[in-house]
Amino acid sequence: MRKVSIWEVLFVPLFFLLIVYPVLAIIGNVTMEGMIKTFDDPIFWDAVKNTLVTAFFAALLGVLMALGFGYFYIFHPGTIVYKIADFMNDLPIALPHTVAGLALLLAFGRNMFGFIGPTGLAFTLVAVVLAMFFVSYPLAARTIASAAEEIDMEQINVARTLGDNPQKAYQRVVIPLLGEAIFSGFVLSFSRSISEFAAVIMFGGNVPGMTQVLASYVFTKVEEGEVSMAVTASAFCILLSLMLVVILRMREKLHARSAESA
Amino acid sequence: MLEAQNLHKSFAAHRVLKGVSISVHPGEIQVLIGLNGSGKTTLQRVLTGILEPDQGTVSIGGQDITALPPEDRRIGYVPQHTALFKHLTVRENILYPLRNGRGSEETFHEIVKLLSLEPYLEWKPHKLSGGFRARVALARALVSAPRVMLLDEPITEVDRAKKEYILPLFREVLLQLNIPVLYITHDPWEAGQIGTSFLVMKDGIINRIDSPEEAFALIREQARINGE
Repeated sequence: MRKVSIWEVLFVPLFFLLIVYPVLAIIGNVTMEGMIKTFDDPIFWDAVKNTLVTAFFAALLGVLMALGFGYFYIFHPGTIVYKIADFMNDLPIALPHTVAGLALLLAFGRNMFGFIGPTGLAFTLVAVVLAMFFVSYPLAARTIASAAEEIDMEQINVARTLGDNPQKAYQRVVIPLLGEAIFSGFVLSFSRSISEFAAVIMFGGNVPGMTQVLASYVFTKVEEGEVSMAVTASAFCILLSLMLVVILRMREKLHARSAESA
Repeated sequence: MLEAQNLHKSFAAHRVLKGVSISVHPGEIQVLIGLNGSGKTTLQRVLTGILEPDQGTVSIGGQDITALPPEDRRIGYVPQHTALFKHLTVRENILYPLRNGRGSEETFHEIVKLLSLEPYLEWKPHKLSGGFRARVALARALVSAPRVMLLDEPITEVDRAKKEYILPLFREVLLQLNIPVLYITHDPWEAGQIGTSFLVMKDGIINRIDSPEEAFALIREQARINGE
């Protein structure tokens, strides 16, 4: 009989108790009544639409910015811009997201951006995108920078001798080679965006039908005492997250298989 | 003519190039033989424009190109391990310079024929053997209509038996160009197969020698000093 390690004894019960059990607690508490009420609620579908649209644009912006960071990483790693950007990549990870939301509110709210409207950019869908972007961008930047690290610099040097300036070499040689990392960065950024609550609620607000996203919908339903609706919306979120994880894993497997055949 | 005058390059306190001067004439394949760590890769990077020298000049045909970026130097570069673009086919790799208005379809067909690459044009580089990858890298550089060719250990991935076939082919093609060619290697035998003139690089300094055999003695001496 196989001898069980102390690490297995430690890991298995804690994993099931602290990770799997809470997820099952949501699924197990979904009721038919809660499902009917939630799926009949147009505000829920607005929150779903808002979540998907804003997370998509936040991830898109995140990947574009991350590609810019990758350019600095490859061509200007000694510059002050790169060093600040590299340092700041870790900031949103350590920062409480309420603080991030407040920072965005002060930077883009009515005080500084009052010329746009009475609240500046705050409490609009743009604010939701910016809040999601602020917390998810580092994931895309890290993913792309670590993939860029793997690229053979000689390919870039050769492209330069064949007439490419740094921008052309980046677009024609580096970006195609970063394809997999761009996809992973997008999915990770999108996943992080749909789960964001604190920064979104601080800067984007929680206006049902307007800036409310799934995370804030769940919060509102709990506050209103509509627990069965909160549970249904949460189960929907879990399903969405699982789908993203499955997509990412399938893509990773496909990539590994094609790399093996190469 | 490719000319480098009094090139110096240091990394922190480490002096890699200590006043290197070379001149390569059109129609000449000058081979630079050096051990690993002798500074030959740094010299290659300074010549291609990847690195700026601390001091000294590089010129082609009398034009000072020291301040020019790599894309404006028109140096055909074949690196160690070939650095083919993995996401492109052999055809797309070789035609790459045409995206920047360099070379022509006509040259492409000529070079592909000369290097017997026709059957492999639609292949991705990873499917080719080391020898054919080296041919594609050479073809790509040749299509760019270079003023100078610089090859840095271009057939490292090729075994000795195949080198005996590929080196005369490379020599023939390079001599037809009638432009200055600098070929960098650590292998005196390889140097003898391809070169028309020879240099030895030791500790960031270059010495002209009359035959690659002289390099054997110098390199053996260097290895003895380094305790290898």
